Amino acid sequence: MDPTYGTHVKLLAFDFLSLTQKSSSDPICFYRKGRPVSRAETVGVVVSRERKGDKFLKFLVDDGTGCIPCILWLNHLNSPYFSRCNPSDVRLMADMAAGFAEEIKLGALARVRGRITSYRGALQITVSDVFVERDPNAQISYWLDSIRLAVNCYNVLPSPNFLKHHHQQNHKR
Amino acid sequence: MASSSIKPGILVSLQDLYPSSPFFKQGASLRVTGKLQEYSVEAAIAVIVDGSCRLKIDTRHLRDLNLRIGSIYQFIGELLIQSNNEAILEARVGRNVDGMDLNLYYQSLQLLRQFQSNHTSDQAT
Repeated sequence: MDPTYGTHVKLLAFDFLSLTQKSSSDPICFYRKGRPVSRAETVGVVVSRERKGDKFLKFLVDDGTGCIPCILWLNHLNSPYFSRCNPSDVRLMADMAAGFAEEIKLGALARVRGRITSYRGALQITVSDVFVERDPNAQISYWLDSIRLAVNCYNVLPSPNFLKHHHQQNHKR
Repeated sequence: MASSSIKPGILVSLQDLYPSSPFFKQGASLRVTGKLQEYSVEAAIAVIVDGSCRLKIDTRHLRDLNLRIGSIYQFIGELLIQSNNEAILEARVGRNVDGMDLNLYYQSLQLLRQFQSNHTSDQAT
């Protein structure tokens, strides 16, 4: 598998919003210039937040090139999805998500990581981590990192030998 | 405000905001940065400066932002151009960015614009 699939790719919002989706695949996979991606990281200013009770928090992160919709689920304690998990783990996840929701304030510079998903045809991040940046240069570092990674890594197709070696290493594990 | 109607704040310097500039448009969503020079609590109007350029900011929609003269702030909002051609940014959000390296910020903006333009032209071909 292409290594971009398993990492949190740092994409500028305009780049993230132009990912394409192959809906026939299982699990649903997204592509950037033909390479598969499943997780993303963004850094930007929170420009809207809309909380739906204890179900979820929807918010928008503006990095200056676009706005990425993010959804943070808060329904761990009521969702049947988690009913088979260890209750103490579920409680931890619920507490962590509630803490993230408190940190997401209008105007905050947030670093958000999560799975790439789509809702009604629009790309979004299903949030797993939030970190509110205190460093005033964090946005600049993120822009420069994203450009460097796009040019030197994401735009460069791995050689067939690399993919073969990567596959063998994963197989040994 | 519905989240789908929120446009990203285009990254501009105050030097970019002159009447014939492509960014100087009624209702344009912008992200601006500058040092706070004046602030009127009654009118909720702030003035930020960068070198010899200045811009008025309407801060009445902002909450929990402590404005201090001499500090550097970044605002995102919509540009309103008044009849005398004077512009004011109606801010939606604002934050203190004291400590930001402004030279690096503006150099990064140039790189970002170039990267975005190359990427868009690559996709078009």
